[in-house]
Amino acid sequence: MDDYKYLFKVVLIGEAGVGKTCLVRRFTQGLFPPGQGATIGVDFMIKSVEVNGEKIKLQIWDTAGQERFRSITQSYYHSANALILVYDVCSQLSFDNIPHWIQEIEKYANTKVFSYLVGNKIDQINRREIPSHIGEQFAKRYEMKFIETSAKEAENVDALFYDIATELTKQAHQQALETDKGVNFKAHNTSTISSCSTCLRF
Amino acid sequence: MAASRSDATSLPTFDGVENLITMTDIQKAFDELCVEEESMNGELDNLLEHQTALENKMSGLHKILPNLQILETDSKQLSSMVSFTSTLAENVSSKVRQLDVAKSQVTACITRVEDILDLKFCTDGVQTALQNEDYEKATGHVHRFRSLDENILRMSEESGEGSTLDSSFRLLQEAEEKLKSIVNTKFDAAVHSGDFASIERFFKIFPLIGLHEEGLTKFGKFLSSQIAEKSRGNLMIAESVTHKDKNANVIYAETATQLFESIANIIEVRQPLIETYFGSGKLFSLMKILQKECDRQVRQILEKFKLKRDFDAVVQQVQQNAVFHRPSATEKFDPKVLDVLLSEVVLLNTRTELFLRFFRRRAVGDMESAYSNDDLKEKIKEIDKFISNCDLNRLMQELIGNYIMMEEFFMREMVLKAVSMDTVEESSHTSSMVDDSFYIVKKCVRRAVSSSSVDGICAMLNHASTVLEQDFREVLFSRVRAGFPSGFDLTQAYNMVQSSIQQGKLQSSDQEKAKTTFLVAMNNAEVSCEYCKSLKSNIEEEVLRSFSKSSEQSKAKLQSCVTDLGNVAVRLKEVVDFGVSQLRSSAIKPRIKPLTDAFLSTSHNISEDDFSNYEANDPWVQNYILQIDNMLATFKSALSTENYDTFVSQVTTEVTFQLEKAVLKTSFNRLGGLQFDKELRALVGYLSSVTTWTIRDKFARLTQMATILNLERVNELLDYWGPNSGPLTWRLTPTEVRNILSLRVDFRSEEIKKLKL
Ligand SMILES: Nc1nc2c(ncn2[C@@H]2O[C@H](COP(=O)(O)OP(=O)(O)O)[C@@H](O)[C@H]2O)c(=O)[nH]1
Ligand SMILES: [Mg+2]
Repeated sequence: MDDYKYLFKVVLIGEAGVGKTCLVRRFTQGLFPPGQGATIGVDFMIKSVEVNGEKIKLQIWDTAGQERFRSITQSYYHSANALILVYDVCSQLSFDNIPHWIQEIEKYANTKVFSYLVGNKIDQINRREIPSHIGEQFAKRYEMKFIETSAKEAENVDALFYDIATELTKQAHQQALETDKGVNFKAHNTSTISSCSTCLRF
Repeated sequence: MAASRSDATSLPTFDGVENLITMTDIQKAFDELCVEEESMNGELDNLLEHQTALENKMSGLHKILPNLQILETDSKQLSSMVSFTSTLAENVSSKVRQLDVAKSQVTACITRVEDILDLKFCTDGVQTALQNEDYEKATGHVHRFRSLDENILRMSEESGEGSTLDSSFRLLQEAEEKLKSIVNTKFDAAVHSGDFASIERFFKIFPLIGLHEEGLTKFGKFLSSQIAEKSRGNLMIAESVTHKDKNANVIYAETATQLFESIANIIEVRQPLIETYFGSGKLFSLMKILQKECDRQVRQILEKFKLKRDFDAVVQQVQQNAVFHRPSATEKFDPKVLDVLLSEVVLLNTRTELFLRFFRRRAVGDMESAYSNDDLKEKIKEIDKFISNCDLNRLMQELIGNYIMMEEFFMREMVLKAVSMDTVEESSHTSSMVDDSFYIVKKCVRRAVSSSSVDGICAMLNHASTVLEQDFREVLFSRVRAGFPSGFDLTQAYNMVQSSIQQGKLQSSDQEKAKTTFLVAMNNAEVSCEYCKSLKSNIEEEVLRSFSKSSEQSKAKLQSCVTDLGNVAVRLKEVVDFGVSQLRSSAIKPRIKPLTDAFLSTSHNISEDDFSNYEANDPWVQNYILQIDNMLATFKSALSTENYDTFVSQVTTEVTFQLEKAVLKTSFNRLGGLQFDKELRALVGYLSSVTTWTIRDKFARLTQMATILNLERVNELLDYWGPNSGPLTWRLTPTEVRNILSLRVDFRSEEIKKLKL
């Protein structure tokens, strides 16, 4: 099949209804789906992007937010190259639950996983409950990157995923360099990225 | 032709005659007129020549003229005749058209008369039928009446039929209402008295009197009550089952299965009835009602299941243990109990998936025979939405969620236990943790596969990859990372490793322990790598087989997670590679280097006497081979076959590396070169005998060095170089060749320099 330099796994998490599925659809299919049901379990899409002329495949796992799917969605954290934690800027509740999700990340994901805090639905200007700077502060405290998006108006959605692809590619290049120098025998799962480059061609 | 010519000449000849002022202009105009005159004359001559011929033709035409006059009158006559005929035809056809209209009016009239007769017949018939309790006949009349167009019939009111029609309609409407209420009451009474024949009898009447939905709802309720009754009975039996019963461990899964089967059976049996009397596309309405009852019954079965199996308490305990990572967590659970519980949950889900698949197939199949294209898509969407939102599905999602959590816990705890109870068995290169861990992982993943839940399987595959990488591989890696200790007395150390492994127990020496731990961990990693690959391909095959008919999306998800499991093998291989690099630097190199250095103290600048003396008393290579053989033997018993092969390959690489260095520090004469060639042959011969692959390639450079050192004269090299090299591929660069040539004390450096390489 087609050739690509790296394959990265990106996993979206966060409360139900904050717009994870819409973000993924917007990015992968360029549309804002009308009234689709809540995600059941885990959904999966692939989209190729180019980073500095190299073809990168993003394997995007969209998880269900409900409690009853938690043990299933948690199983995807470990092998994730990047995590996107989404809240709804119009929902204090969804923001209040962020610490809980961060705990989950700390517990199940790799310590060095690249993670993004995303405040979605910024198109609803009059209904906003979480100001930008609050979200930003929060992200800083937990060493996450931060961006605000609107899946509906296609704002910052591509920027989010391209930034992730760029950062992961950069990391992978560094890793490849270290491997060549023969210092790749570290304790913790350091070569997930490079070993992924050969996987999953179907 | 003539006209165009006069156009062209007219300007200067006539209009412009006043403009001709100069003599030359006048002369020019005159000349042109002369030319024109000449050509005119020619033309006139030409015409005169033809005059007779033209006159002949004219007289011929004069003769034909009278005939043409006759022709004209004839055609005028014909034309008037044609137009007369056409008017006639038009008259006739309009008559026919009028006739047609009249005919269809007559037909309509006949139909209306028939309808009115029918109406009268129905009016009379329905009364009698109702009196005779012949509801089918009454329904037939009402059904006929419902198919008549009342407005059209009423148009004939003026013609005196008005009052009769009116009363007929009233009577029939009354009869219809009466019939509806009778059918409703009778159906309820039949349900009440459990009179199945009557239930079916009245059920068939509903659609004929326009009560499709009511009929299906009532029938659905009736079937639901039957389902409920049967399921409650089954659940009661299940509750009274004792331990000894062979189904005791899966009794709730079995009870749910019975429920699913009874519903499936009802759908199967009733489908033709509904198709015949209600038409296609109606089955789903009934199925929805049945599913609601199924939801209720399953909820009850699960409640009892959870109560009996102490499910919630177990879930809670596992959750807490998982959160706090209590080391002795397994002590609290009898793994066997958990094992049994998990198996029943999986069975519950498998049966549910089977049932829901059946449900979807039937509902969609029925829609397919009633709708097409976009309508059908819409209906299928509706069905899928109903299924994914039904309680049964939600309950199962919750159950699977808990199952995954417990299964993962079980797998992790058992693997941790296997690791902590790790023992090295006698006559085995690996320790017990490998077989034990892979047994557990395989068991857990395969159990998940049997649940038929795609998300559940993916989750367990992910968890398996994580456990194998974190809890299993990390242990091996930390053991290998501790390194292979290199002691002073190497021979003794090797012997001790050997004996400790042969005796199957660790000796007191910490260093010995460390060595065994290292070698066993390396073997473990290597064997695990193979296990991992075969686990991956087994699961892959099983999953592909079970889900061949699933959606592409599901298959892609499964494939991705399976592939990730396979990638753990790559991570395990890294441990082996790291171990090999450790062994090379701490065991192989320190051993091979001094042995090879002994080569340096063996002179290769020797006389004939020395040469034959060496023949009798080997100065170096025999001992070298012996020492390497000892070393290989030591590790052969301690390493797995794969690892031993890798080890020998590493030793060979080190030997060639060290020996090359030694050779470059040695002086040779012709006999010394011969001696080296002999030594090299012995060494290659030995190493070939202990490996399964060909090692000659590794010795290619050294062999070529020996060839160079064996030359009679410097120039003889050219017999083997460049165009003369034949099948030989030189692994030495020209500079290296010169260096080696210069090792020969008897070769002059100017001559070497002069060589054209
Ligand atoms: N106004 C607005 N609504 C959004 C946006 N993204 C998602 N939604 C709506 O939020 C609801 C939940 O979206 P969904 O993607 O299913 O959330 P998920 O549960 O996180 O996957 C849907 O009704 C969407 O239409 C957005 O950017 N702006
Ligand atoms: Mg979703």
